[in-house]
Amino acid sequence: MSVVEGKELRIVGFLCNWCSYGGADTAGVSRFKQPTDLRIIRVPCSGRVDPLFVVKALINGADGVLVSGCHPRDCHYSDGNYYARRRLEMLKRFLPFVGIDARRFHYTWVSASEGQRWQQTVTEFTTLIHELGPTPAFPQDQTVLKEVRA
Amino acid sequence: MKTSAYLKKGKEKDLIDALDTKARLQGHVIVPCLDGDTVTFKPAEPGCTPCFSRPAVSPPKGVIYPQSETLFSFKFKKDPEDARRTLIDLNDAIEAPDTIIFGARPCDARGIAIIDRAFSQTDTPDPYYLARREKTTIITLTCPEPSTGCFCTRVGCGPAEKSDSDVMMTEIEDGYLFEALTDKGQAILKNPVLEDGTAHEARAKEVQGAAHERMVKEVGETDTRPVDPELFHSQAFWEKAAERCLGCGACTYLCPTCYCFNITDEQVVDKGERIRSWDACMFHHFTLEASGHNPRAAKALRLKNRIGHKFVYYGEKYDGIIACSGCGRCIRGCPVSMEISSIVAALKEGTKT
Amino acid sequence: MNIEKLKEIVRTVLPSVDVVIGYKKGLDALHPVPCFVTSPDEIDALVLNPACTHNLAAYLPSLKKKTAVVVKGCESRTVVQLVQEGLIKRENVVVIGVPCQGVLSARKVLNAINHQPVVEAAFENDAVIVKTRKAETRLALNDVASDKCLTCQYPTPVLSDHLAGEQVESKVDEQAAYQDIRQFDAQSLEERRAYWLKEFDRCIRCYACRNACPMCVCRESCIAETRDPHWMSQKATLNEKMMFHMIHAIHLAGRCTECGECERACPMGIPVAKLKKKINMEMKELFGYEPGISIDDKPPMYTFKVEEEKIEEHKIR
Repeated sequence: MSVVEGKELRIVGFLCNWCSYGGADTAGVSRFKQPTDLRIIRVPCSGRVDPLFVVKALINGADGVLVSGCHPRDCHYSDGNYYARRRLEMLKRFLPFVGIDARRFHYTWVSASEGQRWQQTVTEFTTLIHELGPTPAFPQDQTVLKEVRA
Repeated sequence: MKTSAYLKKGKEKDLIDALDTKARLQGHVIVPCLDGDTVTFKPAEPGCTPCFSRPAVSPPKGVIYPQSETLFSFKFKKDPEDARRTLIDLNDAIEAPDTIIFGARPCDARGIAIIDRAFSQTDTPDPYYLARREKTTIITLTCPEPSTGCFCTRVGCGPAEKSDSDVMMTEIEDGYLFEALTDKGQAILKNPVLEDGTAHEARAKEVQGAAHERMVKEVGETDTRPVDPELFHSQAFWEKAAERCLGCGACTYLCPTCYCFNITDEQVVDKGERIRSWDACMFHHFTLEASGHNPRAAKALRLKNRIGHKFVYYGEKYDGIIACSGCGRCIRGCPVSMEISSIVAALKEGTKT
Repeated sequence: MNIEKLKEIVRTVLPSVDVVIGYKKGLDALHPVPCFVTSPDEIDALVLNPACTHNLAAYLPSLKKKTAVVVKGCESRTVVQLVQEGLIKRENVVVIGVPCQGVLSARKVLNAINHQPVVEAAFENDAVIVKTRKAETRLALNDVASDKCLTCQYPTPVLSDHLAGEQVESKVDEQAAYQDIRQFDAQSLEERRAYWLKEFDRCIRCYACRNACPMCVCRESCIAETRDPHWMSQKATLNEKMMFHMIHAIHLAGRCTECGECERACPMGIPVAKLKKKINMEMKELFGYEPGISIDDKPPMYTFKVEEEKIEEHKIR
């Protein structure tokens, strides 16, 4: 059961293997109640998260994307999250330019011991996404004729 | 039987609407429309601004041969009788609504006629293409004047060429004359928005003749000389010709006669589609083989193929016909203004560019 | 833009290089084309005027020769950026700089003359006189200049071995360099979304924007076309088209020198350069960085600071 009311939405989470994935695990082991809309993809490091992962998810119908890595100075690979921070900040500022709500994308840092912080982040983000509602659908090519436009 | 009809200027939209409101055609009348400052063929939706004063940037070939189409969709499922077996749900229905292309140019219509051969005169005619081709009526507008890059009369087409259209539409002083050229065309002329055209036939003929003469004066008569075989196979010639080519696909995707395609399966978990989409011989990937070898790795070889296909190979296969309608779109649309017309002229001349 | 001075420079430079890339007469007066000069008798065919818009530096990464290249301000930044990223070697390039007062947008000119074929064009300091079969029109250069020129900060090449002409000062205040982007961003989210969906809808995926882009150096390995990794399908749907333009824009983050080639090359008239300019604006605000200014810089996405002055941790709301 989701702690957030209503129909489940699609939120994609990219979590680094060393901190945030562990943080999510800690939250689970501690039996903290969390919303169930988030689908986690484990990545080796937040530095592995290409901004295009986020864009592709959002363009193809994800209602929200959450990226989480080790806190700055705590990266398992010493500086992966510093690169991630620059790229993701660039992305966050770019998204509204093409009409994508930047609130649908959040990046943050959660360590393996911060089960509580993880629960808060997921709950707060999921609640926000539910307030925003489903991501606006793309006009799809229902007919062959749409493709004539090319 | 009516063979000609007349429409006053300013009533173009009425006719388009009248053709469109026949329920079976709703959204399937394709008109050159202004989109920003680009003219493209689009379904005549309310609010679209038809533009006949200059040729569209892209041809209407996508109506019959879309940029990408689903050949079939499939879904895997477990056999309820036997859990070890997988069944496939297949949907291969062909969608081919009645369609009218309104305001094509003679070169656009010629382009479709050229593609026709490739999809029909083979051991396995293409059902997807032919189904749509069958249901499409082409109403062509006589080109009032040449645009930059046009060279239709040099390749045997022309601004008033009628052989590839169902209806010819000619702009005269304060209206348009419509001539039916096929049975499909006859059906169009029955539309009540159109008046009788007999009185304007002579004038339309004059306009068509003048348009043809102007084009010939501008770009020259049909050039029947063959391509010089020695020069055609000269690597130096092609390297020089392709020097500035960027290797994009603008020329092929804007071309009314290019018909090369790729077929890919797009599958997500247990369901997917087989897609046929335009491909272009100007792309490096087009001839890339699984081994990693690419027989046309250099852009010079790719350019040779593109021009060779249109002016040599196609003719060898289909009665000496040139697979180019001289619309000039590849020239106007090219980011570095590559001129197929002058490359071909040089090949026929046997001189280096 | 001094053609005689340029020819003189090319004459002196040619013996020491394999090829000089410049412009020659092309399709019509609005469309000169890139030309590759290898012998002295080709020098007289060179032209130089505000219709010479192509970024010739785009040919540099694939030419494995010692090359001299004619560049204007924005294009000199391309050379700098290519050297900075190690994509070309400085010693293999001779930069012939041309101070620039702005170049034409052929699209704007054609709109102004109702798309009539151009018979002739003459260029004056601040105007272009275009002759068609029907009329002669005088157009102020400012009205028909490429969008990039209206906010240009570097009209004089930032790097050149030879300079053909006098230095030109930027006519645009530094504060105003991104005014167009700020204006666009002032619209509501829905308006911006509707704008781009309408524009991307025209995309035919011909990749002219990518191939004309001097910084798109992946060429045959572009993820827009590879099957493995499978980033995109071949469908001609709006989301695929948008995805492609996102790939192009994001891969140029902190690298785009604003030469505007992507936009100029687009046969469908999609204003794709705007996307890159927006990212450049953010790069400047976040890291004080402008691409293609100094060979010794590092692109901001290739580096980091432990304490980022301008990046604050985001709250979810």
